[in-house]
Amino acid sequence: MMPTSTKGILGHFCEPDEALAAAAKVRDAGWKHFDFLTPFPIHGMEEAMGQKRSWIPYVTAGLAVCGILFAQGLQNYVMVFDWPMNFGGKPHAAWPAFIPITFEAMVFWAALGTALVAIIAGKRDTVPQPPPMVIQTGATIDRFVLWISATDPKWNPEEATAFLRSIGAQGVRLVDAEGGAHA
Amino acid sequence: MTRPEMSPYATVMDDGQLTGHPIVFAGQGPYGGDLEVEEPLVTGGKTWADVDRDICMHTEQFPTKRWWIAFAVALTALGVGTFAILTLFYSGMGILGINTPVGWGSFIINFVFWIGIGHAGTLISAVLYLFRQQWRTGINRAAEAMTLFAVACAGIFPIIHLGRPWFAYWLVPYPNARGPLWVNFNSPLAWDIFAISTYGLVSLTFWYVGLLPDLATVRDRATHPWRRKIYNALSFGWTGSHRAWRHYESAYMILAAFATPLVFSVHTIVSFDFATSILPGWHTTIFPPYFVIGAIFSGFAMVITLMTFMRGYFGLKNYITTNHMEAMAKILMLTGMLVGFAYSTEFFMAWYSGSEWEGFIFKNRAFGPYGWAYAVMFTCNAIVPQLFWWKKMRRNTWALFVVSILVNVGMWFERFVIVVTSLHRDFLPSSWGMYALTRWDYAILIGSFGLFFTLFLLFVRVLPVIAISEVKGVMDPKVARSAPTDAARAGAARSQEV
Repeated sequence: MMPTSTKGILGHFCEPDEALAAAAKVRDAGWKHFDFLTPFPIHGMEEAMGQKRSWIPYVTAGLAVCGILFAQGLQNYVMVFDWPMNFGGKPHAAWPAFIPITFEAMVFWAALGTALVAIIAGKRDTVPQPPPMVIQTGATIDRFVLWISATDPKWNPEEATAFLRSIGAQGVRLVDAEGGAHA
Repeated sequence: MTRPEMSPYATVMDDGQLTGHPIVFAGQGPYGGDLEVEEPLVTGGKTWADVDRDICMHTEQFPTKRWWIAFAVALTALGVGTFAILTLFYSGMGILGINTPVGWGSFIINFVFWIGIGHAGTLISAVLYLFRQQWRTGINRAAEAMTLFAVACAGIFPIIHLGRPWFAYWLVPYPNARGPLWVNFNSPLAWDIFAISTYGLVSLTFWYVGLLPDLATVRDRATHPWRRKIYNALSFGWTGSHRAWRHYESAYMILAAFATPLVFSVHTIVSFDFATSILPGWHTTIFPPYFVIGAIFSGFAMVITLMTFMRGYFGLKNYITTNHMEAMAKILMLTGMLVGFAYSTEFFMAWYSGSEWEGFIFKNRAFGPYGWAYAVMFTCNAIVPQLFWWKKMRRNTWALFVVSILVNVGMWFERFVIVVTSLHRDFLPSSWGMYALTRWDYAILIGSFGLFFTLFLLFVRVLPVIAISEVKGVMDPKVARSAPTDAARAGAARSQEV
């Protein structure tokens, strides 16, 4: 029986090296909407999946600059303009004294912002149809799970099944919206 | 390079089999020589599924009797400290040992002590990460948790030292109805507010980001739907997608890169509290590196103390092996020698500077009425860790445990020596005085240990104490992969294979 609401297909590998080789094969076969779910990050997987480097460092750089500007702005505004005070005849804009807080503010903005953006990016940067959460893929235990979304331009259930078997995936199964699997 | 057919890691079945030397395969090297392989970081022939079970187990079962006893002791200590702090608020600062001229007493000592303890966690999680020290994976989670709890303990002391702690929010610069009256940004005490709060929050973020994949592991093992829901929310619905790992790894590296200078900056700024003053014994340029290295030293001692308990009581000897303990012992000895070097440099400079005041303070430190404290400090910090020149000692649990306790004692006394001896003999002999802790000082110190261990004991009950996903990454896949026979095990009950 052909499922009407097939979300995609999954199959798994048992070792990171197998997963890496498989990812390159999936990429070369022209699949676009696929993902690997793994218990730990695998080196070289980005390239094998045909992805670019993460853009997170640019966000961090921007946030770090914001932090510096915020701290410099606050300290100079307070100490020079809003409430200037004479501390032992020293200049109001005592820039060396502003360095520690500037540094801390830079780290604070950059670190917290990076973490937040990375979490959001990880949630949003998925295939159009990720595997339903009700499925126990074992990807947080010891499985390296390949998922091809049914939204892929090349999508064809029979072809996908045959392809996954041909690259050595185990436990190949089609998955519908409720997480049920089909032969 | 020819690799031995069977993984050498499968042969090391027990922590006791580790030697601290590489495993040698005669004649298997690339040019016919010997092949030397590092000993495994995880022993016992564990599979990845075993890791989940061994580590998550402690969050999934009812606490043991020993845990309840430890928790009761910690909670009692916390209660004692809380009572003392409430008494302090009610009666005022007069119940403490501080006086004129010793206006900074046990609270500042404890503050610097606890902040120092925290530093090892960040060092292990960030600095060792950047240096690709893979053994950090076994201990970084607990060490980072230790950092957070130590910072929490430290943060209490400046607040209760304010005298009017209910105005603590005045320390925060925000537009207010008092003028607006701002904090003085030229003051190291204002820098401290920023440094400590940034350190606390960035450490928390770093720790939490590291936890995300492990929270998903706990979720996937959960049987109760509520437990599943809670851990799913905590992990932000982590699935292990490599599209998420891509951003995650990038962010984790960046966090490590920011946490590394941060950890050095924090104790540097704490040392500025002293170094920017004009008191002999405080006003020195060696203070920032001296404080930072002392912090790492004391923090590693606390990590060793905690790990000794953890690996024993939670049966984690396969993950926190003797090799891990030895690596920590080496760092403890190195930092101990650096601390001893700093003590000696201080003395040399006191003489070499030709400053009469500086010279007097240092003679008074070592041979004055608080000479005993200086002796405790120097013995525990600079001499005792020399024991670790012997490999046998580095690999001996008891030696590690005793030395780590002594170092913690020594490091508390280091702060005692710094704070008290520079203050108690003022420039005018008519202003000389002595300082002793009162029972309230002791009660609040005990309370801070109570808070620390209460939080740590709660942590080991609800969160994975070892970074599961990171440990999995350093295991040999040939040993750790799921056995072919249970290949279908992880498949959902609702699904059937094609």
